[in-house]
Amino acid sequence: MRKVMRVVNRAQCTGCYSCMYACSRTYFHIATTKLSAMRVKNYPGVEGAFSIRICTGCAHPDCAAACPTEALTVRKDGGVIFHEEKCIHCYKCVEACTLNAMQWDPIAREPLVCHQCGICAEYCPNGVLALVEVEDDE
Amino acid sequence: MTNNKIMRIDLSSFKSEVYEDPKLFGKYLGGTGVATKLLYDMNIKNIDPLSPESPIILAIGPLNGIYPIATKTIAMFKSPLTGNLGESHAGGRLFMSMYDAGLSAIVIAGKSPYPVFIVIKDEEVEFHRAYSIWGQSALATERILHSRAEGVGKRSIIRIGPAGEHKSLMANVSVDTGRHFGRLGLGAVFGSKNLKAVVISGSKRHKTENFAKFNKIYNKIFWDAVKSPAMKKYHNLGTPQNVLPLNKINSLPTRNFSQGFFENAEALSGENMSENYLAQQIACANCPVGCIHLGVLREPFEDNIHYKSFKIPYDYEPIYAMGTNLSISTPEALLKLLYIVERAGWGVMETGVTLSWATEAFERGIIGVKETDGLVLNFGDFETYEKVLYNMWNMKNEFYGDLNNGSAFCAEKYGGKEFAINFGKNGSPGYITGRDAFLGFLMGVRHSHLDSAGYSLDEKIIKGEMSEDPSAEVDLLIKEEEWRFILNSLTICLFARKIYTEDLVLEALDSVGIHRKSEQLKNLSRRIHALKYKIKIDNGFDLDKLEFPEKLYRVQTGRGKMDKGVVRKMISDYTSKIREIIREAEDE
Ligand code: SF4
Ligand code: SF4
Ligand code: SF4
Repeated sequence: MRKVMRVVNRAQCTGCYSCMYACSRTYFHIATTKLSAMRVKNYPGVEGAFSIRICTGCAHPDCAAACPTEALTVRKDGGVIFHEEKCIHCYKCVEACTLNAMQWDPIAREPLVCHQCGICAEYCPNGVLALVEVEDDE
Repeated sequence: MTNNKIMRIDLSSFKSEVYEDPKLFGKYLGGTGVATKLLYDMNIKNIDPLSPESPIILAIGPLNGIYPIATKTIAMFKSPLTGNLGESHAGGRLFMSMYDAGLSAIVIAGKSPYPVFIVIKDEEVEFHRAYSIWGQSALATERILHSRAEGVGKRSIIRIGPAGEHKSLMANVSVDTGRHFGRLGLGAVFGSKNLKAVVISGSKRHKTENFAKFNKIYNKIFWDAVKSPAMKKYHNLGTPQNVLPLNKINSLPTRNFSQGFFENAEALSGENMSENYLAQQIACANCPVGCIHLGVLREPFEDNIHYKSFKIPYDYEPIYAMGTNLSISTPEALLKLLYIVERAGWGVMETGVTLSWATEAFERGIIGVKETDGLVLNFGDFETYEKVLYNMWNMKNEFYGDLNNGSAFCAEKYGGKEFAINFGKNGSPGYITGRDAFLGFLMGVRHSHLDSAGYSLDEKIIKGEMSEDPSAEVDLLIKEEEWRFILNSLTICLFARKIYTEDLVLEALDSVGIHRKSEQLKNLSRRIHALKYKIKIDNGFDLDKLEFPEKLYRVQTGRGKMDKGVVRKMISDYTSKIREIIREAEDE
């Protein structure tokens, strides 16, 4: 058993960004949505639909496979660990993530890697995100 | 963020510049304080609100982008509807995009020779031809620009619909989804400049001064907002939670303010709307409350075999304006009317008040089928209202063109001033609670229910929590309005006013390096009050000619019938206090 992030109730999202603020605040100590390891995407118009992209802690991460320098290594419980000193700022990890979940810091030119910590879920007022238990081979 | 950068954009020359003004922000904080001072210094007295010189000011404050529910942006301009102070507030993502761009204020002046939309990315400004989107609805414009105008971060898209292009004096500016600079005609000012839309984004992130302090205050506000029952109500039913309680105390405007009881209130209530029509709630950025309610309207087409659906934002004020006050009794009909208004880009409150004036004027024979081009106006007749709105949209004849200019303009031209329910030429908000609500609409600097919330005083008196006292009531209105100048300088959503107490505001300001004392805030709000009133008076707002619409004296308000003598006395008491406030500021 391992615990990873999931979007459990996408349609309950109000687009408040509390999740992104929480992630940036926790890891960068900055009030912004920009340094979050996940994204809430807006769709245009009164339709008000949101799509949430968050690292689901893959057991076989495409991002790590795409990294030419092993700056991303597979984390024991899923997802990846980032080794900053090895990063050559090539953007390949972001391109490799089919979910578009891997975020990018355009100033540091580095990926923003999810720690599967569940803090964003704690701050979601609408139960959209959750840290859930999955089988080891999932 | 430094919180003192101003961007000036000149549409005549397609030039822009950014500069810092630490003195201005140091003194006036931001938001309404800064915007008021900017407008005051521009000396707009002899400027036509729809001329190129007429400015559009957008401003945020030092807490935006940092703390939850500091979500508003203040728009300040010369109102084409009233001729004096134009001020309207909107939520959405606009404040966040300005914050990300590092801009505390944006001033737009001049006039483009052809339709344009502006794209602001940090401190860069692009001017794009907008011929192809001129004529598009406010909703379509957002969809188009969302896929067309790239940004350097989360974008905010503010735009006008056809109403603004026609320079309808009640045109609004739509902000992102379901939020608007709704009041006092900002859309016409955009239209007069050939400005269809502004798309803003920024790539900046700003260091946090003192993380531990910030984190503590953030969490306090956040969890207060999430846990407080009052805020929960805003999320659950939204502002339409007010429909039934107001109806119960005879305070829900019905058929052009003829009575405070609407027989079909149940159908338009927050409860019924939520249960049967709510598609979802959405939020302004950085607001865990999420009070914006989107209703869904499902309509058959082609022999009732096919269906299409629309999502339409609804709130208490639109329900009053296009619902109860026009005697519209089904949510379907209401949502259909709101959809047209949303697409055209009219401010919904002024639109409703103007239609209710027109209906009563028709009943009384002041206007007839000659003006309406054959349409018979009746309260409750949704299909005719639908036609009226499209005729207004298309400016079908002189009368429909006139309706675009609001209730005060129409009553002046056709008659029926006594039942044109506007205050200072601004269509009334939706409360017949009693004299304090009306007095607030009349004397509030924006003629808005959010200026001083007199209805809540009325409600307290109705419930017996407070006793009647004309002079104390006036003082309480002024006190409330002045505190709100501070909240509006920090552009905090007024729905969070119970969370943002004075102590919290001082603490939050302190955490971003702005050290103030209670007394200083009081002095600042006084000064803002004085400046706003000076702008109003300079631009024709006459303190000696202030009146409620005559009809209201015959109406049974929540507090009963108003005594004209007492009301007159309160108005004169209020105006002398305003004069005093102005004098004090001049002495300084
Ligand atoms: S789980 Fe943690 S690291 Fe991952 S997006 Fe959420 S807050 Fe950020
Ligand atoms: S905190 Fe929840 S509701 Fe708000 S944007 Fe994130 S996922 Fe959506
Ligand atoms: S309470 Fe509503 S209007 Fe206020 S900030 Fe939140 S979502 Fe926006």
